[in-house]
Amino acid sequence: MAEFKWIWGYIKQYRVVFFIALVLVLVVNLLNMINPYVQGIIVDEVINGGRTDILLILVLIMIGSTVLKSVLRYVYLMMFETVSQKVVFNARKSVFKRVQEQDFAFFDKTRTGDIMARLTGDLEAVRHFTAYVIYSVFMHVVTFILVVAILFSINALFTLILLAVTPITGILAVKLAYRVKPAFSAIREQFSRLNSVVQENISGNRVVKAFAREDYEVYKFSRENAGYRDCNIEAARIWERYLPVLDSLAGLLSVIIIVVGGIMTITGRITLGQLVTFNSFIWALNNPMRQIGWLINDTQRFVASAEKIMTLLANEPRIKNRETAAVAKKITGRVEFRNVSFGYGKEPVLKDISFNAYPGQTVAVIGPTGSGKSTLVSLISRFYDCTEGRILIDGTDIRDYDLKSLRECIAVAMQDIFLFSDTIEGNIAYGVTQATAEKVMWAAEMACANDFIKEFAEGYDTIIGERGVGLSGGQRQRIALARALIKEPSIIILDDTTSSVDIETEHKIQQNLREFCKNRTTFIIAHRISSVKNADLILVLDEGRIAERGTHEELLALKGQYYSIFVNQYGDFDGAEE
Amino acid sequence: MARNKFDVDEELETRFDFKQFKRMLGYLKPFRQQVVFTVFLMLASSGLALLGPYLVKVAIDRDIPAKDIKGIVFLGVIYIATLIFNTICMKYKIRTMSYIGQRVIYDIRKDLFVHLQELPFTYYDSRPHGKILVRVVNYVNSLSDLLSNGIINVITDMFTLVAIIVFMLCLNVRLSLVCFAGLPVLIAVTMIIKNAQRKAWQNESRKQANLNAYIHESICGIKVTQSFAREEENMRIFLEQSDEYRKAWMKAVKIQFLMWPSIDMVSVASVCAVFIAGVHWLGTGGVTVGIIVAFMSYIWRFWEPVSNLGNFYNSIVNAVAYLERIFETIDEKPTVADLPGAVEMPLIQGAVEFSDVVFCYEKDEIILDHVSFSVKPGETIALVGPTGAGKSTIVNLVSRFYDVNEGSVKIDGRDVRSVTLNSLRRQMGIMLQDTFIFSGTIMDNIKYSRLDASDEEAIAAAKAVKAHEFITAMPDGYYTEVNERGSRLSVGQRQLISFARALLADPRILVLDEATSSIDTKTEMALQEGLQRLLEGRTSFIIAHRLSTIKNADRIMFIDNGRIVEQGSHDELMARKGAYYHLYMAQYNLLDAI
Repeated sequence: MAEFKWIWGYIKQYRVVFFIALVLVLVVNLLNMINPYVQGIIVDEVINGGRTDILLILVLIMIGSTVLKSVLRYVYLMMFETVSQKVVFNARKSVFKRVQEQDFAFFDKTRTGDIMARLTGDLEAVRHFTAYVIYSVFMHVVTFILVVAILFSINALFTLILLAVTPITGILAVKLAYRVKPAFSAIREQFSRLNSVVQENISGNRVVKAFAREDYEVYKFSRENAGYRDCNIEAARIWERYLPVLDSLAGLLSVIIIVVGGIMTITGRITLGQLVTFNSFIWALNNPMRQIGWLINDTQRFVASAEKIMTLLANEPRIKNRETAAVAKKITGRVEFRNVSFGYGKEPVLKDISFNAYPGQTVAVIGPTGSGKSTLVSLISRFYDCTEGRILIDGTDIRDYDLKSLRECIAVAMQDIFLFSDTIEGNIAYGVTQATAEKVMWAAEMACANDFIKEFAEGYDTIIGERGVGLSGGQRQRIALARALIKEPSIIILDDTTSSVDIETEHKIQQNLREFCKNRTTFIIAHRISSVKNADLILVLDEGRIAERGTHEELLALKGQYYSIFVNQYGDFDGAEE
Repeated sequence: MARNKFDVDEELETRFDFKQFKRMLGYLKPFRQQVVFTVFLMLASSGLALLGPYLVKVAIDRDIPAKDIKGIVFLGVIYIATLIFNTICMKYKIRTMSYIGQRVIYDIRKDLFVHLQELPFTYYDSRPHGKILVRVVNYVNSLSDLLSNGIINVITDMFTLVAIIVFMLCLNVRLSLVCFAGLPVLIAVTMIIKNAQRKAWQNESRKQANLNAYIHESICGIKVTQSFAREEENMRIFLEQSDEYRKAWMKAVKIQFLMWPSIDMVSVASVCAVFIAGVHWLGTGGVTVGIIVAFMSYIWRFWEPVSNLGNFYNSIVNAVAYLERIFETIDEKPTVADLPGAVEMPLIQGAVEFSDVVFCYEKDEIILDHVSFSVKPGETIALVGPTGAGKSTIVNLVSRFYDVNEGSVKIDGRDVRSVTLNSLRRQMGIMLQDTFIFSGTIMDNIKYSRLDASDEEAIAAAKAVKAHEFITAMPDGYYTEVNERGSRLSVGQRQLISFARALLADPRILVLDEATSSIDTKTEMALQEGLQRLLEGRTSFIIAHRLSTIKNADRIMFIDNGRIVEQGSHDELMARKGAYYHLYMAQYNLLDAI
């Protein structure tokens, strides 16, 4: 039931149009009765009775009513399409909005294909329901009730006898609804899986080819493809048991007319004329009974999809604004970690981290793979909330800032670079959409990307593929860097941003950044000593703890982990020995 | 560049043609017998359905006035018998047609997917992935209705129509002709609508692809979006795309819905014409009152299948918009494919030879400019040079991800184009810059390169690349579930996993393209030791910026601007005091300079 309430929430604002359309459905249904009636008159009066003078009028009535009916039907169909398209538009908007609000933890565990399925196939079921199923149900129900009322006024007893079939139809319909629902849920689930397997295959096409794993991919895909096929066939197995029986039950009304009606006529309980009238109305009774199975199918298909969409909509992101959240206006960039601990699951990834970073300072984080470096900086933007301790920016807990305003003050160049299938200019200006071409070029120059961009035939208008395919790793990193710089943030986080850039270029970038970072707080994650050497504070992370901290010189003197990294990278080089 | 963006419509230049539809029907061929039998059953069933009204008529006209209760009951029994037959036919139809429909959809989707596996990188690089996805999943699905009900109904309708036409002609030829006069009008109207409708549905399918591409990209890039707090701007673009799709849909149905009024009008006009003509001709040429009355009951039965056929035609026009896209993809010629007569690559010894190789992705953008070199089996080659110099391109050509424009690439003296792609790539272990993790367990991901590997072998590979420690530290160890965005694994960890994956393949040629850029120095040093043993006897190509990674290579090639500027061992190149020396010294000088 919750599904219907949910969709009504979207239809509600178009209820006037929707109701007018429903009324038109009734009008057209009534108009449908005119032609057979007029045709009867033509046969009786004109052809049998020879009154050729009224033929023209009758013919004109037929044509007139058909024109009217066609026009009205066209109008109501368009009205339902309009409403359903708007409903789906708004529903898709809510889903997309919800997806954008989800936190990183959600995306860490949810497959892209699943989310895609919600926004495509599931919404299609919603569309079909709004555009077609609702008015069909309405039309059949109203017709049925209307005809029953008419028949009841003619002969109550016979009407009741005719309706004796309906409880059976009702029971079967409820049983069908009950049985078919899980089948549709299974189809939706399998649809998600199919979507995911295809989506991953497309995104991972390079790896597939690199390992010549096409056959395995086809095998994986075929499993889901066959699963989808079988789910659908399985669902058909359920309705093949009900729909034909429902259809025949509707036909049983005619049998009642013949046998019971015949006997009642013979025994004089009803007249022959009444029986004929009953018979002429029979189509209006059995048609709704025939359709009920199909409509239940369609409805349950909708329910299964709506359920999935609603689950997504109900998923509250854990990272969101507190009610008292204040907009972060002028952040100077003082960042303080106070006894911060964090874990994705039970296992802690960061343990008791405390440090201070002041505007103008550069904090470098170095340490083994998986020691928690990226996690540490991702806490600053509140991609995750720390499990213990607090992170303060300008003395305020970051959870007390409005999330959007907080993130607007921070620019991140992530380790895992994602570029959009857009022009290079569009990619660099991603965070500052109104940036001028000069500004974009300035950022590219800062990131030492201008030179290679200019070499492309179309320069900044070159379209790059998703994930930045077509660019080398170093080129992608520099575009991601430019994308972060153009924001001119108070806090800038460079997560392994220059690992694929050659040393000389890296050096140039560092020089460019020196001026840029003067009034900003900079975080750098790197593996190369050359990248971190210049920092005001170097944190050496090991297994989630700060193992060593200090400046380059201090840490070298410590002869600890940092020193051994240094030796590994430079140890055998004469000039570097102190 | 010919790349497509999410908000740019894909072009398609074909004229409407039934070939697409016929091609789809080809998929039905294996099920011909079932289709024929179902049509036969449907005809029998609709024939029997005609009996129903007749039985009622007999009851009212004959048995009830005669007070013949036995007769009435007899009619009732016959009626019930027809209903039972109807139940069986319908059940059979639902079962068969949903089975066949789903099978065909399965087959089309499979053909499409299998073909996609053969298409080269460039195909995937030149359009948003969401646009490929929508073809495989959504477009194919939209054929389901047509296949499961449409076709069987249309065949049944055609038979019914022929039967009715015969009946009508038998009753009266002149009146029949009056009635049929509506047909040409209807066909003309259909044709006019069709052209506009086809364009509208094509446009709808393009807008759908655009929207899906945008959604897909938004989900994949969500972390970037959130870190730039750009949700509002994305919402704006999304709504724009969504609105365009909605408008395209509305435009399409606006045209499509014209079909029903047209059929209604033409049919009612023809009915009226029959009345007028009938009354006019009454008493002449065999037109009697009885004939006209009988004619009336057929004339609507004539228009019903015509109307169904019209709607069916409508949905074909509709489906063709999707079929075109599906078959267009299936017909896309893979630019890198097995040549006729390609043979299996025998066990690779590891000699690699580039002779005079010229390569460009796009015209006038030369990436490799007459590159020649040869590598002895077992040699470790390091490629260094500025970003964008062409290092990755060289290794991509070894695995034949692209074909050279000029010159040749030979492995063990065989041109890579003369052997099958599968046999070539199976013997190579490639670790790309872009690590991709499939959803599944870490174990699945390592075993991706060799499906029949045992757990022990996979763990051994992980140990060799120093991934074992962090994997076992995870909650479910090797059986920890990860997804395609690599959830929670750091890039360094992902690199180690794909490194293990590459090693497990036990490749004859190993390619490491920036394989260790995000791995810390300590892990890398440990890894190097294990690697040295593994590299023994295998030819390998290493691309890296960290000089400590490449110093131990047998030979270092310095690539700049698509050419090999210099090559030799570390010591040789240092002695030469050229580009490499400059680069190497810079690393240390810079350190001091900072």
